[in-house]
Amino acid sequence: MKNYYFLFSLLILLALVSCKKDKPTPVETSQSYVEITVQPTYNSSNLFLDSVYITTEGYKIKFTDLKFFGTTLKNGQNSLAQVGFFDFALSGNYFLKAEQDVNLFSDLQFILGVDSLINHNDPSTFSNDSPLNISNAGTMHWGWNPGYIFISVEGKADTLQDGIENYDHNFSFHVGTDDFLQTKSFSAINWVKTASNTHTFALQLDLFDVICNGLDPIDLRTEFLAHSSSLQTALTLKFGKNFKSALTPY
Amino acid sequence: MKKWFFFSSLILLISCNKDKASYLPTPTAVSIPSHFPQMLIPSDNPMTEEGIELGRFLFYEKRLSADNTMSCATCHSPQNSFSDNNQFSVGIDGIQGNRQSMALINLGWEDFFFWDGRATSLEKQILEPVPNPIEMHQSWKVTAQKLNADMVYRNRFFQAFGATIIDSTQVAKAIAQFIRTMVSGESKFDVMYKYENGLSLNTVEQQIFTTIEVDEWAGYDLFKSLNGADCFHCHNGPLMRVKKFSNNGLDVTLTDLGRGAVTGNSNDNGKFKVPTLRNIALTAPYMHDGRFATLDEVIEFYSTGIHASPTIDPLIEYASQGGVQLDAQEKMLLKKFLLTLTDLNFVNNPKFKDPN
Repeated sequence: MKNYYFLFSLLILLALVSCKKDKPTPVETSQSYVEITVQPTYNSSNLFLDSVYITTEGYKIKFTDLKFFGTTLKNGQNSLAQVGFFDFALSGNYFLKAEQDVNLFSDLQFILGVDSLINHNDPSTFSNDSPLNISNAGTMHWGWNPGYIFISVEGKADTLQDGIENYDHNFSFHVGTDDFLQTKSFSAINWVKTASNTHTFALQLDLFDVICNGLDPIDLRTEFLAHSSSLQTALTLKFGKNFKSALTPY
Repeated sequence: MKKWFFFSSLILLISCNKDKASYLPTPTAVSIPSHFPQMLIPSDNPMTEEGIELGRFLFYEKRLSADNTMSCATCHSPQNSFSDNNQFSVGIDGIQGNRQSMALINLGWEDFFFWDGRATSLEKQILEPVPNPIEMHQSWKVTAQKLNADMVYRNRFFQAFGATIIDSTQVAKAIAQFIRTMVSGESKFDVMYKYENGLSLNTVEQQIFTTIEVDEWAGYDLFKSLNGADCFHCHNGPLMRVKKFSNNGLDVTLTDLGRGAVTGNSNDNGKFKVPTLRNIALTAPYMHDGRFATLDEVIEFYSTGIHASPTIDPLIEYASQGGVQLDAQEKMLLKKFLLTLTDLNFVNNPKFKDPN
């Protein structure tokens, strides 16, 4: 009889143990990440979309959209990421984050735009989490090129200076097509440790320097539209050059 | 004692087994055209054959409305490419809404629903029309009671979700699964898109390719031209839309704040979701308030009828001139292209028809 009780108790114990789910064993993570952020500014003050700023000509302007791609990010032979994407309205200061060893990237070079090697790929074939996938690229992919808009800056300008805010001009700068690709480089980067496993390189993009560039300013009264077409080559080049020089370490 | 011991042991062994009831839904995948991006399926509502079929029944189920006269298909009719040819849909109490019913096409790729984007998933969108007093006007509690009283539905819900009590969440999930299968990608435009992107055409597509008229190609060029109709900024890619809210210059004074009423941001006033142009010939009337009855009116609007306002989309580049100023020939070509977006295989797909 005692044997039955013992066997019975043992059976209950086994059944209870067997019904328990395995507990996951905590795993030590050793991943390290690098991230790049971009802070848009206007004359060195933080910029906000849909806020009013003044150009050197006295025009009131508002920026409504601000996006750009960077691709083939690397330091020599060390690849950091295929693509980074800045969309101020949607993602704030985020440009990219990648699992990488920060020590490999004291310097950094990338293409300001979408590398011509992938610019004309079927935009549906990029992975779902890639900003190049047509689902994510959205307005940044052109059917007519076909290819991506590398840089997109849109907004409104009131160039009449009559005291009435009527924003008589929309402006829209869309830089794309392989001819307008540029490269951007940074040396001796000051990566800042922003989390236990993350180092951040903060960039600044000063839109004042893009529009009111001391060397080659853009007059929004007459220069408000550039889509990289053959008739707009000069303005597209100027805008792209100003944009590139306005992107600096923060 | 022996009997007690064996009986107890048996119960213990049984208690460790999984449920044996026959809830075994059949996983399935949405058929996606080769030139489309992948569709992201929510992890809490995987596609199953039973779920899709249940969703199809529910889409056409009039008991979702208080007087059993109205189903989803009433305002999203297959012959109108799952939209409503009335300017405003009328609910069971005879009350009109103030926005046009959107066409249900390729919604599996959308992130925002309704003209103002207030629903952030298909499942959430589906929860709204049933209790809405100007639409189906029936509480979800009553709806669930009606469905729970139907043995066939109880069986279908069990097969799809393992549910013995039907609730609104499962209804929404099932209809969402069905709607995700409603993929349109077999129009003449699709062949044009694939051709221009260097994608291979299958035998059927090659045959369609030979039927594309010069005027249709010219209309497509105009559609994409920066100095032509300039439509592509907002209607782009295989889905023929971009994910954004836009004020396209319909009014000087805004009577419907659209997205602005959702976000509370005055910079969003007058902005509405950019809709797909797929099957545009079948989805009249047009715009969020259905103000244009024909494609000709729409083309005329973008050509000469644009009104500037504080939140007008900067991409409406010729707003200061009233529009893109197309001549009669250009309007004709543009319309010819827009007609290539018609996908009759989608509209006539028996899998999307009323199962009853």
